[in-house]
Amino acid sequence: MTTEGKYLRMTKNERIQHFLLLSSFITLVITGFALKYPEAFWVKWIIFFIGENAFEVRGVVHRIAAVVMVAGALYHVFYIIFTKRGRKLVKDLWFYRSDITDLTESLQYIIGKRKERPYFDRFSYIEKAEYWAVVWGTVVMGGTGLVLWFENYFLPIINVYGMNIATAVHWYEAILASLAILVWHFYFIFLNPDVSPMNKAWYTGYLTRHQMEHEHPRELAKIEEEMSERTAAGKTDAE
Amino acid sequence: MMTAKRKFVFIAATIAFLVSIVILASNAKFLRAKGTDDCFACHEDKSLTMDKNGKKVSLFVDPALYKKSTHAGFDCTDCHEGYKPEEMPHNPNKKKIDCKTCHDKVKSPENSVHKNKDCSSCHNPHSQRPMKELKANNTNLCFDCHNNKNVKDFTTSLHFKKNIGCEGCHKGGHEVQKITKSDIPSVCGKCHGNYQKDFNNSIHHTVLKNGNTNAPNCVSCHGSHKINNSRMTIESQACLKCHLDEKLFPGENKGSAKFVANYKTSIHGSIQKDGNPAAGCSDCHGDHTIEKMSDPKESTVRAKMMNTCGKCHPGEVTKFNNSMHGREFNNGNKDAPSCFDCHGEHDIKAVLKSDEFSKINQADICLKCHSNNKVTKGKTNHTEDYKLSFHYLALKDGNTAAATCSNCHGAHDMKMASDPSSNINKKNVDRTCGQSGCHTKQLGEYTGSVHEVSLMTKGNSDAPNCVDCHGNHQVKSTDSLGISEGSRQRGIIKLCSSCHASVKIIRNNNLKNVAGTYLESFHGLAVRGGSKQAADCGSCHGNHNIRHSSDTLSTINKKNLGKTCGKCHPGASEVFINSKIHTQDTDEDNPVLLWISRIYIVLIIATIGGMTLHNILDYRRKKKDIKAGKH
Repeated sequence: MTTEGKYLRMTKNERIQHFLLLSSFITLVITGFALKYPEAFWVKWIIFFIGENAFEVRGVVHRIAAVVMVAGALYHVFYIIFTKRGRKLVKDLWFYRSDITDLTESLQYIIGKRKERPYFDRFSYIEKAEYWAVVWGTVVMGGTGLVLWFENYFLPIINVYGMNIATAVHWYEAILASLAILVWHFYFIFLNPDVSPMNKAWYTGYLTRHQMEHEHPRELAKIEEEMSERTAAGKTDAE
Repeated sequence: MMTAKRKFVFIAATIAFLVSIVILASNAKFLRAKGTDDCFACHEDKSLTMDKNGKKVSLFVDPALYKKSTHAGFDCTDCHEGYKPEEMPHNPNKKKIDCKTCHDKVKSPENSVHKNKDCSSCHNPHSQRPMKELKANNTNLCFDCHNNKNVKDFTTSLHFKKNIGCEGCHKGGHEVQKITKSDIPSVCGKCHGNYQKDFNNSIHHTVLKNGNTNAPNCVSCHGSHKINNSRMTIESQACLKCHLDEKLFPGENKGSAKFVANYKTSIHGSIQKDGNPAAGCSDCHGDHTIEKMSDPKESTVRAKMMNTCGKCHPGEVTKFNNSMHGREFNNGNKDAPSCFDCHGEHDIKAVLKSDEFSKINQADICLKCHSNNKVTKGKTNHTEDYKLSFHYLALKDGNTAAATCSNCHGAHDMKMASDPSSNINKKNVDRTCGQSGCHTKQLGEYTGSVHEVSLMTKGNSDAPNCVDCHGNHQVKSTDSLGISEGSRQRGIIKLCSSCHASVKIIRNNNLKNVAGTYLESFHGLAVRGGSKQAADCGSCHGNHNIRHSSDTLSTINKKNLGKTCGKCHPGASEVFINSKIHTQDTDEDNPVLLWISRIYIVLIIATIGGMTLHNILDYRRKKKDIKAGKH
């Protein structure tokens, strides 16, 4: 079994984007749920450590994290439009017919109806779902969050009625996003036996060959084909 | 030479002459004129004196007085028997004049103090007037000898003014007696029989009888000769004369001189009323009837307290008798207070002026009993809480307007809250707190509020009055309401929630679950999280003046909503007018919200459930592969 080899997964730029996203997301989750569950034990700890103005600090930190996340999202839009790698990223993350095949095969595999693993490319349906969920979530949370932030500006426009809807959506979407990250993303990067104890790509930027074989066999094959073509061409050149 | 016959005639004539002389001599008038005038020839000279045992003695006799005297018909020699006018002195044998020669029936009894005195000590023989006149003037006569100040003060006495002379007590005439200490009560009792009877039953008489020489009798208090009915004589000089003497009444217990001495600085002793102390010893203890303090007949025993104090303070006693204290007292409860349990005894003070009974110290006086489990049957904490209250702290800071126990409970008329006429009855509390000079403004706001109308008009005892929100003994200032909760808002929410989140009260009064919806709203979450800006119940509904939204005076009436919400949401005020505030996600009044939440719940369950299932299967399958060696 070959575990050697470095396969670039995330560039430094992408790692910074991911880091901004993860740090602002975690901050938003903590400061958000702290509002909703003010009597929870962990909220009490936070209040204890921060002190008397914990509630006000919570609000400010939540807004700072939101700005960071939205700023990161806007940069990401710029990134996927104006960089080659960015454009390829969206192309690779887009849904294709092959994803349905992958899904079917994967489901067959995990329920034991199929011996071979699904033959995933650079992004499996799992990661695609993840990415577009973040896109959706950022839009929804950013939009409703903005309304709630500037409530005195929006109140005359959307009324108390709309305000209550924005509040409810922000709340339900927060639950959905948090649970999705917890159940979906954290499984695949921590518990998943292929990468356990952790997929280090988010700070090293690289995947191991072992991880490539299990998670992205089609991409690996493509890379090796390209490599051998390049080697062949090199040989030809040499010849 | 005389013959025998002539001799007989001569002797007979001589006898006849002598007999006639004797007869004539026995006729006083006939002889007096001559002899008395002869005497006055010298004795009407005022300067006539003689030396008698070295003393210059006046020999002057006023002829005018003599001629008016009862002895006017007698010749000087009738009394001055054997005097020889031609000799100096006339009475060389110093023979005493014995009045008893004539006044043989006059007798001085053995026990008379004047037994050995000359008659002339009282009766001047040269000017003696008829007894009638003598009697009328005998007091002055006594003063001739008894001329010390004490006796002479008799002329200022009540007795003298009522024409009772010395003989009234000392007996008159020849029977003048000295009155011994033990005789005094019976002597005075001759006229003052009722007082003597009272005195004979008193503690003073008991100790007198037992031979205590310090024990007082009538004159110890009233004085002997200078008797009048001034109270000052009776009080300060009489009672305190003995009762302030630490030798007679040692120690510090009840009855001691030190204990009694407190009287002098008490309100009774120090305040003057018509020139006298407001209340003297006898006003409380009685006078002649005074008994041992433990004697049930004594007027200051607990059982008689109400009658005794009520003599001057009838209003207070009437109130007290209707109070809880009074009823318990009258039912024989030994723990119930009587007047002096609160006010003190000899040291009784004015309520407002003194340190001992000032407002700040009143709590201690009440707590003497009310922190005692036996008295209050276990309900003590709430009374001790008073010392933590805003009222007490304000008093301590010198705000004398702040309330102490009696300001709310009443003083003499304090009653249990269950009594409809009690100041602290549920329906009267608002007027008690709102009494003039206290929380009148708040009472005005509270009057007409939903709470007030419900309680007062509809008799709904679920509706709160002042103390239901502010507490009773441990009444808090609004700023400290939430101290234990971390913020003022949280304190208020907890307070309102105690009813508006109570299933029982919500059901019984057909209320909406406003607390639940508020707590889940942003306002509620923020306050729960410790925000000091977010709205609490009072921010929108007001505090004392909470009214139904249909009431035009209500802060949440459509007319006023803009202003109320505009306090925090300026410019956004109009939009609130048609908005429902206490709504829930499932509230059918908001179908969009309802559907959004339904969709989201389904979405969350399906998505997260699907993901969970997918990953469990994925994990199992991959582990199985690894086990099978397929890495």
